[in-house]
Amino acid sequence: MAPWLVLLVTAVLVLLTPPGAAAQASTVDGVTIDPDAELVVALADDTNNMDPRIGMGSIRSNYIRQVFESLVDVDHAGKPVPGLALAWKPVNDLTWEFTLRRGVTFHDGEPFNADTVLFNLDRFFRRNLDKHGIKDVAAGTSFEKVYPFVTRWEKVDDHTVRIHTSEPAANLWDSIGREPLVPRAWTVKNGVEALNERPVGTGPWKLVEWKRKNHMLFERNERYWGAPPRMKRLRFVIIPEAAARIAALRAGQVGLIEAVPPLDAGVLEREPTLRVVSSVQKLACRIYLNGRAKDTYESGGRDGAFADPKVRLALNLAVNREAIVQKIFHGLAIVNASPVATVAYGYAAQEAYPFDPARARALLAEATGKDGPPSLDLLFPTKHYGQAFDETVPAVVEMLKDVGVPVNVKALDFGTLLQTLTKGTLPPNGGFAACRTSNNLDADDFVRDWATTTLVNWTPYPPELMTLYQGTRRQVDPKKRLALLADLQRRVRDWAPVVSLYQEVKAYAHSTRVLRFTPTQELNMDFRGVALKK
Amino acid sequence: MIRLGRHGVALVGVLVIVASAVLAALAPALAPADPIRNDLLSRLTPPMWMDGGSGRHPLGTDTLGRDVVSRLLYGARVSLLVGFAAVLVAGAVGVALGLVAGYYGGRLDDLLMRVGDVQLAFPVLVLAIAVLSVLGASLGNVIVVLGVTGWVTYARIARAETLSLRQRDFVEGARALGARDGAILWRHILPNVLPPITVVATFSVARTIIAEASLSFLGLGIPPPAPSWGAMLDEGRNYLTTGWWLALFPGLAILLLVLGINLVGDWLRDALDPRVERGM
Amino acid sequence: MARFLARRLIHAVFVVWGVVTVVFFILRLTGDPAAFLVDQTATREEIFHARHLLGLDRPLHAQYLDFIAAVPRGDFGLSIQQRRPALPIVLEHLWPATAELALAAIVLATVLAIPLGVVAATHRDGPLDHLSRVGSLFLQSMPSFWLGLMLILVFAVALGGLLPAFGSGSLRHLILPALTLAAAPLAQNVRLIRSGLLEVLQQDYVRTARAKGLAERGVVYRHALRNAAGPFLTVTGLSLGFMLSGTLVIETVFSWPGLGRLMVQAVPGRDFPVIQAAVVVFAVLFVAVNLIVDVVHGLVDPRARVA
Repeated sequence: MAPWLVLLVTAVLVLLTPPGAAAQASTVDGVTIDPDAELVVALADDTNNMDPRIGMGSIRSNYIRQVFESLVDVDHAGKPVPGLALAWKPVNDLTWEFTLRRGVTFHDGEPFNADTVLFNLDRFFRRNLDKHGIKDVAAGTSFEKVYPFVTRWEKVDDHTVRIHTSEPAANLWDSIGREPLVPRAWTVKNGVEALNERPVGTGPWKLVEWKRKNHMLFERNERYWGAPPRMKRLRFVIIPEAAARIAALRAGQVGLIEAVPPLDAGVLEREPTLRVVSSVQKLACRIYLNGRAKDTYESGGRDGAFADPKVRLALNLAVNREAIVQKIFHGLAIVNASPVATVAYGYAAQEAYPFDPARARALLAEATGKDGPPSLDLLFPTKHYGQAFDETVPAVVEMLKDVGVPVNVKALDFGTLLQTLTKGTLPPNGGFAACRTSNNLDADDFVRDWATTTLVNWTPYPPELMTLYQGTRRQVDPKKRLALLADLQRRVRDWAPVVSLYQEVKAYAHSTRVLRFTPTQELNMDFRGVALKK
Repeated sequence: MIRLGRHGVALVGVLVIVASAVLAALAPALAPADPIRNDLLSRLTPPMWMDGGSGRHPLGTDTLGRDVVSRLLYGARVSLLVGFAAVLVAGAVGVALGLVAGYYGGRLDDLLMRVGDVQLAFPVLVLAIAVLSVLGASLGNVIVVLGVTGWVTYARIARAETLSLRQRDFVEGARALGARDGAILWRHILPNVLPPITVVATFSVARTIIAEASLSFLGLGIPPPAPSWGAMLDEGRNYLTTGWWLALFPGLAILLLVLGINLVGDWLRDALDPRVERGM
Repeated sequence: MARFLARRLIHAVFVVWGVVTVVFFILRLTGDPAAFLVDQTATREEIFHARHLLGLDRPLHAQYLDFIAAVPRGDFGLSIQQRRPALPIVLEHLWPATAELALAAIVLATVLAIPLGVVAATHRDGPLDHLSRVGSLFLQSMPSFWLGLMLILVFAVALGGLLPAFGSGSLRHLILPALTLAAAPLAQNVRLIRSGLLEVLQQDYVRTARAKGLAERGVVYRHALRNAAGPFLTVTGLSLGFMLSGTLVIETVFSWPGLGRLMVQAVPGRDFPVIQAAVVVFAVLFVAVNLIVDVVHGLVDPRARVA
């Protein structure tokens, strides 16, 4: 075709195309899409709250992060990218500066600016609540306790905020930056309870309808600061049974499902109308052991029986992780000897714990001599982390028994486990199986587990590891910090605070009509680029 | 249709119960494998008559490679033990309370009956869930919970019988002769209370076995890895398509045992107490 | 009659109060929901703070008095998990979900039982009677959730999705759960009707009616059924109570979004307000049904009016 004709045709097409539609391409990868479509997604559970302060576990994040956004966003490779903040940098050792994105509005039209951020910081750290006229809520993370070194915050101008700390805080961008932000004027006017009823955020989806334990309906935010979603509506339906989700997917009642059990993922993969995708997650499942010294907890005044790192290392050598990954997870899990999840920022790969029962026995004999290995009273929360977890723990118990460790399994429900941990009444030879995930991007969120007295810290850092850990907190130079983190991870691997079991890989299945769905490594699904074939 | 007649059918029931008890008692000798030890390599083996099955595991293996036959045998122990023990507890407590309430009457009687009414209005499972979370789930605690929640029916029957017997001549006579209350209750009233109680108790055993299975099914009963038919059903639930044998056999086991007990109960009711409503 | 009614009412209120009190104290023994609100990495102070915000660190008797004062108003507090009033949550799950299921089951258990019971009675000791006896025994001997699982296996899996295995929203979804829930009561009712009919069929007035030449059918249905109604009513009342408990398990098996499943999920989560509200609603229903059955029985049969 003659070049001038091509130009003419192109010009005509461009002129005839309405401006909005340019942002709403009607084809994706050469396939025609339906921009007014509704995607139905089946999830395993409903959220209890939409107010991000109350909790951001893996279930809630999925809902909350469709509506609310944070300063720092994440791309599909797990890298931090600008979200509501365009940039963040330390201006000096004790100050971080966030440059905010302009032109962002909440769903009700309220502008997002520095005042919003200040308001949210007040909420995080529980300051000036009376002044704002809002109530306090029971929070998932108490910032004032976990980040006590944050002293004050101020706005430099409408789009710049500075946060001051009393000591260098290398990962403040992550701690503060990943927390979803709520609108100021709207919350003050409607009260914090309203955040749970009809939340208003800056996100790509607006909450339109919520029938608890049944479904939640979102609609495209046409005034989103980024590219608006390519579908008109997104509907999350709650189907707790995995088999039911799969049945619904097969029947075409839903377009995408999450949390596909490993065995079923293999079966679904072979179906031509479905696609199965998976992504490594940050959920790390472990057996925590009681290694506390008797002056740090209240039960019976005896030292934890697992205070000796040699014993814990031996237990790690007794677990046949490959068998677990192959037989129980059918490949949908990974083995990781580092305390930090493989997809976290600052992860450094560590030498895997070999499966060596003989060496495990030898180590145990060395460490405990003629007393023999300590028996383990294992608290096992069933029906909480999923079927695969419930199958893994008994298998691991068998492996521990095989190296001569008597294990006494106490199955209980998760609430009772939490209570035992809260009261600090784990028996001296006690342990519990639990999983740990992270809402943040930085490795710090994982390695801080053993630095403070929290529910899961039963093997507090010895002084040299504590110093090293604090060093990673304070080192502001990124390269130096990564090196320190790597060193810390290596030492923690050898110090073996827990028996690491596996790191989760989450599988999703969707119909072939769903295009460009990429699972993230975060706790939430991201539907911003997803489209539905016409 | 085999014309077994009334007694023949009951005989079948007795045979089933006895067979279960014998199998349960001999479980260690009969079981092809350890019911608790798991073996990841052989998980989800189908029953031996199917593709991939093996004679080593006649009815297949579960998700952790544990042999189904072995777990069924050891599970029988749990069901029988819980069933009979819980009913014993409930019966003993209930009859004692009912005798006392019926005999002495008055405020005590009122109080006991009110408490009983309150308990009946309480969904058993919720009570069980709550109590088991406090006490922790174990074989003993499950027996206690199921026993304690079941006393009301026995108390009512014992009380009703006691009320009607209390006025009778022989009781008045015994009292006139100076017999102590305890002796009267024990020698004159209790023997009359026992027949209807036995009938109810038999059906109760059946119901308790199902209740224990329900608790285990909901994850609240005998904790893993102990084999319990209800827990096996719970595990099998997630594998209906890929491991149907996990859900089928434990349920069949419960069905057969409970059926046997119900058959015996039917016969006992006809023999001991035709007054009790049929069909209950 | 009025005295009878008044007495039963007072009794009913007492029972509900008893249930409310017992559940209140038992729950507080089982732990507290504060730990659920926060992360595993929370500090103990945060949990105590959460507990404080929930009002759970106040003295027990103070909590109880506030609670018992609020109950008559229908105020059970805010659900800890859902941050909204507990009673509406419970009622939402009761109606229509559980009510639909229970009513469908009762209808099935009653309506199907009548013709089956009549056939069994009129063909006494014949093959049909034996069949009904064996069938009844089987249905009453199996755990309801196993029946549910087998039905799912047959209808939803083996027959390729003839009937849906989970969820609710249409008549098709209702069939399997209702059948499962109705199975045992149906079996029981068939036996009851059969035995009730057999008793009555011997009685004089029936013989008189027969002698008068009225058609057999008419005799059976009109006189006999009416008199067999008494015990049948009582048992139906009781079985409603059992059915309410049965929904706990059946709703779990079929993922039916009703009150039973709500309770099973709320208890591990220690959502006190919801559990309390649910138990009270259960108790009120149970007591109300029994009250109605007692009253109807008393109306129909004056002998039954003794307290």
